[in-house]
Amino acid sequence: MKKLLALLLVGVMTLSAVACGSSDAPAEETKTETKEEAPAETMEETPTETEAASITLWTYPIGKWGDEATVKGLTDAFTAETGITVNVEFLAYADGDDKVNTAIAAGQAPDLIMEGPERLVANWGANGYMVDLSDMLDDTDRQEILSAPLTACTAPGGEVYEYPLVMTAHCMAVNLDAFKEAGADQYLDLETHTWTTENFIKAVEALYAHYNDTVAAVYCAGQGGDQGTRALVNNLYGGSYTDAAHTAYTWNSPENVKALEQLKSMDGIAFDASLAGGDEIAKFYQGILKMAFCWNIAQQLDPNGAGTGAGLTVTGEEIAFMSFPSETGTSQLQGGIWGFGIFDNGDAARIEASKQFIKYMADSAATVDAVKAANYFAVRSAAEGTDLSAIWSDNEIMNEYQVLMPQLGDYYQVTAGWAGQRTAWWTMLQKIGSGMDVTEALVQYEGEANAAAAN
Amino acid sequence: MSNHVSQKRSRALQRREDIAGYGFMLPSLIFFVGFVLIPMVICVYLSMTDSNMHTQSGGNFVGLTNFINLAKDKVFLDALWNTFVIVFVSVPAVAAFSLWVSSAIYKLKMPVLSAFRCIFYLPVVTGSVAVTVVWKWIFDNYTGILNSILKTTGAIESNINWLGDERYALWCIILILFTTSVGQPIVLYVSALGNVDASLVEAAQVDGATDLQVFWKIKWPQIMPTTLYILVITTINSFQCFALIQLLTQGGSGTQTVMYYIYYTAFKLTEQAGHFGYANAMGVILAIFIGILSAVQMWLAKEK
Repeated sequence: MKKLLALLLVGVMTLSAVACGSSDAPAEETKTETKEEAPAETMEETPTETEAASITLWTYPIGKWGDEATVKGLTDAFTAETGITVNVEFLAYADGDDKVNTAIAAGQAPDLIMEGPERLVANWGANGYMVDLSDMLDDTDRQEILSAPLTACTAPGGEVYEYPLVMTAHCMAVNLDAFKEAGADQYLDLETHTWTTENFIKAVEALYAHYNDTVAAVYCAGQGGDQGTRALVNNLYGGSYTDAAHTAYTWNSPENVKALEQLKSMDGIAFDASLAGGDEIAKFYQGILKMAFCWNIAQQLDPNGAGTGAGLTVTGEEIAFMSFPSETGTSQLQGGIWGFGIFDNGDAARIEASKQFIKYMADSAATVDAVKAANYFAVRSAAEGTDLSAIWSDNEIMNEYQVLMPQLGDYYQVTAGWAGQRTAWWTMLQKIGSGMDVTEALVQYEGEANAAAAN
Repeated sequence: MSNHVSQKRSRALQRREDIAGYGFMLPSLIFFVGFVLIPMVICVYLSMTDSNMHTQSGGNFVGLTNFINLAKDKVFLDALWNTFVIVFVSVPAVAAFSLWVSSAIYKLKMPVLSAFRCIFYLPVVTGSVAVTVVWKWIFDNYTGILNSILKTTGAIESNINWLGDERYALWCIILILFTTSVGQPIVLYVSALGNVDASLVEAAQVDGATDLQVFWKIKWPQIMPTTLYILVITTINSFQCFALIQLLTQGGSGTQTVMYYIYYTAFKLTEQAGHFGYANAMGVILAIFIGILSAVQMWLAKEK
């Protein structure tokens, strides 16, 4: 009896151990649309004809493309039209890259991914993981899609690793009520949503004189939202981030030195190593900071993602989006481009199904919904006869925001070593904030960025 | 003859027990081999290659190049220094504090003792993300309660950026690590002190020993195995401090640790040539230091 019990226990324990490590779960169980869906399981299916009817999409939180209900509506419509089911995993910017990189290293990348050219083209595409989508673009498509986003989605060799869907210009924002209270609103041009460096400095002085506290933060706790600090520094005195050919980082310029020294010298502006972009937005939304350098149209429509009203802080103060200050008032804004890419998992049927998905979302009558879900602007004027130029005509804020689009600057995020240089940038800001000499910091960290580019 | 039969039966019984024992060990052994032993071997091998995410083959053999480069890497040396600061501050503090608390509470009545154990153990069983979020609120530069209290009491004039200032950030990490580390040692010490032979304590007291002498000569030797376990486990945990850094500072503000730098190199610097090999070399160095420190602790405890 004792022996039997012992054997039984050993059997149960061994079985449980094997069961825990097993990946032979029924296919249906691995295909639930959930955030916890294990990417490994979805990719371990044997490629057959029938499984080409099921593909996986990993998406970063690009507007409502990070919202499960919205994405389900879009994918359900696609499934109804094509019979192909889409298993979605929602990534966060905090650890999304880690998940994707781990999946790639394990040979378990998803079929489709939605993000920007800095990842899809400059990183995963350049390293040979992505499918060339150039065969999806005929002459009409190339005419309809704006040249700037299409160029950004194209590798130097001509391969298109990202099929672009939406774009925007990143900007900054001010708490208009706080500006009015401090008498700083006189420095804003609310018609064009632009201002000069001189007026920016005067505005900060007025705000600090009124509030006697930090009114804006050069956030540098991490890489999150670093497009804001880059644009701020580069625009103040006309500096640049990379060279025109996107081969090297050009931080150490007299313009950037002047900008950083100016920012460092200003009462009311703090180099804050405890805040990243998202934290800064939260502080601005709470009314603690009077300016946010990490902003865009999605934030303007739904500040802090809190659902408490477009263009308003939590206490109901009015938010005005602004271009970054520059000497002339006309700035070079950081662009954001998002679209779809396909990982080359060696399964022609799944690649074909993924292409159908892209065609449906980015070049069909359904593109209107796909673009609107992102809360950004379409990269193309029309999609298979559907006019996309006026899809936001019913939205006053979106219409007003278009005033910034002509200021879209160079899409330099495709420069080599992008991931490595991001750490160098925010570490440099931290060091400057803690007292390091600006020129010394720029020399050291530009060197690190270029070393990353050369690797 | 009967002796021979009896010996044979005894050996058969022994064999059966051995088989049953190994059978029970098998599930753990599978996990140990699969998730500890094999990865360790792979780690040591990869540390001597230029392996990266983009080379599925495992990379080229580069000998000790990664280790030589590590010796020249300022970020790694800073991370190593910070890691040692965390270990050398945190381990004695955790051990001393938990021993002190345990000594004070182990004689209390069971319900009160259980309550104390729960209180001290709570941060251990609470998810590290939840704990970190609460501490982030406490340390917040603009609205944190710590700044608020210190300003109200006149201890500081203006807010301190606890997690954004190199002078304070590492100490904040150590403090949080301390609160999440003392729970288990307290529970273990309470149990160990409760198991100290009461007759020896009473005999010493009858002989006129002071409280300090009773503790040092009677209790301390008897709880030495527990102390050793606590020291080794706390040392390993401190060396592997990662989640707090990841969630609070991302290695900034002078809080880079070896563990975080390994993660950053392996999974963030995917464009850098040989990043897997380099990260594995750091892992090997970290394992060596943990091994050395644990061995020293064990040796000291044995000497004692």
